[in-house]
Amino acid sequence: MTTLPVGDFLALASGLVAISIFGILTRRNFILLLIALEIGMNAAILSFVYFAAFPQCVTAATCHPLTGQAIAVVVIGLAATEVAVGLAIVLALHRIRGTTNVAEADSLKL
Amino acid sequence: MSLTELAFFALAIVAIATGLLALLVRELVHTILWIGIFFVDLAAIYFLLEAPFLGVLQLGVYAGAVTILLLFGIMVTRKRIFSRDAATGVGALPIALAVVTFIFLIGALGQLPGSAVPAASYSVASLSTLLFNTEAPYLLLLGLVMLAALAGAIYLVREGRE
Repeated sequence: MTTLPVGDFLALASGLVAISIFGILTRRNFILLLIALEIGMNAAILSFVYFAAFPQCVTAATCHPLTGQAIAVVVIGLAATEVAVGLAIVLALHRIRGTTNVAEADSLKL
Repeated sequence: MSLTELAFFALAIVAIATGLLALLVRELVHTILWIGIFFVDLAAIYFLLEAPFLGVLQLGVYAGAVTILLLFGIMVTRKRIFSRDAATGVGALPIALAVVTFIFLIGALGQLPGSAVPAASYSVASLSTLLFNTEAPYLLLLGLVMLAALAGAIYLVREGRE
């Protein structure tokens, strides 16, 4: 099995985080905002999965080599939950305000 | 360059490109298509890292559930599903902030030693043993968070609420 350099993976994760920030700042549609958040979340999960295979961890006695993957499972669950709640907010916003534009959701009372 | 690295570079380029396209196209349904490809692409990267359970989870939860949920959200909130999103100008500030973040993160990498070798003695059984023994509190906490989120979502979308 060949090795995969750490810099490339972190560069990919950084690029995904940058895309996520760009999307959150640019788009005004609530669903696109959720998608941008998911891209950032996936960058974090990718880092966890990568470092689960890091040799320094496999040889150390204090950490389990699969802890990174266990954290990734939990984070995937949290991300799915976040999308469900986000879509509930989108539906409530659409019913009350008739729009999914976050710029028009400027009242705390809905 | 080995075949694994070559595959990783191809997958990384596809991930960046589909991520950008998903946020830049005007048609919301096309966004969903691009983000679906993005999720499948990341699942392929997990398979490359010898984490097959995570790959299957990514395919099932993200490429399956989350994509369909987002499509459902678009379907419910639009009169015509193929109506275009209102034009939003891409300002200089968001691009500048994204680029600065990227440069900062890349600069923070510095000189990192070594590279990862995918774990040889990996099995789904050992992952589940870890998840249900050492990491059990977090799994339990995730279940409670999901329950609270379910209750909150039902409260938000129920009928007859002013």
